[in-house]
Amino acid sequence: MIPGSWEMENGRKILHAPSHSLVAHLSDREINAAIIEACRQGDRDAFRALYDIYKDQVYSISLYFFHGDQAAASDVTQHVFLKLMTGIGRFRGDAEFSTWLYRLVVNACMDAARRRKPAAEISDRHLEMFAAPDSQEEAYARRQMASSVRAGVSALPPKFRIAVLLRHFEDLSYEQMAKILGCSMGTVASRLSRGHKILAERLKGLME
Amino acid sequence: MKIFTRHVSRELAAYFDGELMRPTAAKVERHIGQCALCQAEYQQVQRGMAMVEQLPSVVAPDEIWQSIDVTLNAEPREKQIWQWALAATAVLVLVGIAYWRAGLGSGAQWDVVRLDGRPVVGAKYISGTGKIAPGEWMETDSSSRAGIKIGDIGSVEVEPNTRVRVVTAKPGEHRLALARGEIRAKISAPPRLFFVDTAAGTAVDLGCEYSLDTDENGTGLLRVTKGWVSFQWKGLESLVPAGASCHIRSRIGPGIPYFDDAPEALKQALAQGGDAALSTILGESRIRDTLTLWHLLSRVNPNERERVYDRIAALTPVPAGVSREQALRLDQETLKHWKEELAWTW
Amino acid sequence: MLRLGLAASAAALLVVAEGFTFTIGSPVASQEFQMKSAAFVFRTEGCVEPAKAQIGGTAEGLVKGTRRSVVLKVATGARPGVYAVYQNWPAEGDWVVNLKGTCANASAGAVVPIGPKGFIRESSKFYSRPATDAEVETSLKTLAQGGNK
Repeated sequence: MIPGSWEMENGRKILHAPSHSLVAHLSDREINAAIIEACRQGDRDAFRALYDIYKDQVYSISLYFFHGDQAAASDVTQHVFLKLMTGIGRFRGDAEFSTWLYRLVVNACMDAARRRKPAAEISDRHLEMFAAPDSQEEAYARRQMASSVRAGVSALPPKFRIAVLLRHFEDLSYEQMAKILGCSMGTVASRLSRGHKILAERLKGLME
Repeated sequence: MKIFTRHVSRELAAYFDGELMRPTAAKVERHIGQCALCQAEYQQVQRGMAMVEQLPSVVAPDEIWQSIDVTLNAEPREKQIWQWALAATAVLVLVGIAYWRAGLGSGAQWDVVRLDGRPVVGAKYISGTGKIAPGEWMETDSSSRAGIKIGDIGSVEVEPNTRVRVVTAKPGEHRLALARGEIRAKISAPPRLFFVDTAAGTAVDLGCEYSLDTDENGTGLLRVTKGWVSFQWKGLESLVPAGASCHIRSRIGPGIPYFDDAPEALKQALAQGGDAALSTILGESRIRDTLTLWHLLSRVNPNERERVYDRIAALTPVPAGVSREQALRLDQETLKHWKEELAWTW
Repeated sequence: MLRLGLAASAAALLVVAEGFTFTIGSPVASQEFQMKSAAFVFRTEGCVEPAKAQIGGTAEGLVKGTRRSVVLKVATGARPGVYAVYQNWPAEGDWVVNLKGTCANASAGAVVPIGPKGFIRESSKFYSRPATDAEVETSLKTLAQGGNK
């Protein structure tokens, strides 16, 4: 044991510290691998912890994907985590886990989108402003901006929309995104380029 | 990425995110510097990304987890559990092990291995290895023992003089029915995937170490050796920490938990119940036995509740935020806060 | 104004300093799943900013007559001021946990004997300063002689 070194144990990141040092904190995302292992060992509360780590990202991606439809986002989130729970034994490491998790998210979003009626076209001139359910912005102007951006993202074609949301809410490499989306890295790059470009065109007046 | 002489529209996001190999990134950069169209598009991509940065993360509603919890808890035991006749003593020991994998199809058969003697599956003796399917019974006599591989999530040892049936063998539900005898399970799975039905109730948290005994009348004892278990039955809940036990009765649910090192008189009084018993419980209780007293609060008659409250208050200071009036009214937030503080003495 | 400010700061420090102690408990007291397998949990009391408390310690043991010391594995959870101690000392021998903490200019200490069934609450000692070597040795010796079990 090296004083000052970190070690994973029982789902915690623990600092081997001299007696005067600060102790480690449990909420660091780096503890995922240990929590996943604890889930695989049958720890229900570890699953809850895993859920707590990823729930907001999964919900946010789903919510913005479905034009702010909270029911749809809740359904997708629930579906994803139930599937996760029944399949977690297949995973060996954290890197693989997030890829699989977000593949579930993508599949769930795209499947649900295919089953839903096509969303009404949101014209460039009549972007709907729907309220953020849990908006953190204090200023009205920022809230308006976010509403417009939300509408703009919602109007993107599904393949661009999911790529843009994945990139925004998760710090994933293009290689990971390619695995998640089931395409090449070049395609990931292309979808992100085109998606953001379309968004900028549609919301042209917003940031000038 | 390919070496290109064409426009670089498709690579702009990757260039911005630093995902291009250095030589390619250098080529893109040079091109942007020389091509007005790509330069304009690059600015658009950057603006688009800046706009998306405005999207806040949204906190997932609490109801989602509750739905997940309900889905995981949903089970048809109400239809099955009261149909079995229970006899003799059974012991269930659940211990967490290191692995679990899904993949068991509905109605799949589980592997069985003979450990001693001549265990029977259905009408067939198992001499080495065999299978057991949903609906089939396994029975051991006084000199037999067997092991059952529970899908991919663990195994169960079936002790002598035991009769156990596989009810369900699915990825989301691995269920046994213990008619009599003793089984010891070693399971590694998220909780609520492995069930052993008896008339004694259900231990909710499978992430701990505990034993569950039921006798032929359906009376059971939950004993926790590591962690803690919340034992629930039809809305009745008992929190049983390590070093404590809790009686369980068929159609009554979990009793009042008590520490195993509690005074014998207290334990006996708990088992007996009644007014005289309450006096004994209160008189014999130590600080640690506030575990018992806290659970008693919501299970005694209102006129007895004051006595229980006063005894807890005499044993350990009532924390700030817990008022006598609210505690006696069984205000849930008050009781929850009090339990959280009392837990430091358990 | 400066003098008043200094006086106010000193008063604040005094408030912080008073009553800084440890309370120990079984893992159930933490209410956190990650701490279920901890040897015991503890919390600080009387610390105005628990997140800034400096906490640590050692496990002091006597193994076959040889004196051992192991830096403690202490982890925090979601609740500020609540910590878990995980056993990283050998199962063999007799061990006590020597906890130390500082909060602003206050200190606290505790010596917690570990028995075959876990931490021994009744024999644990709490101080408003780190335990002295003599206090640790006394506790360890008592434990080794079977006095605490």
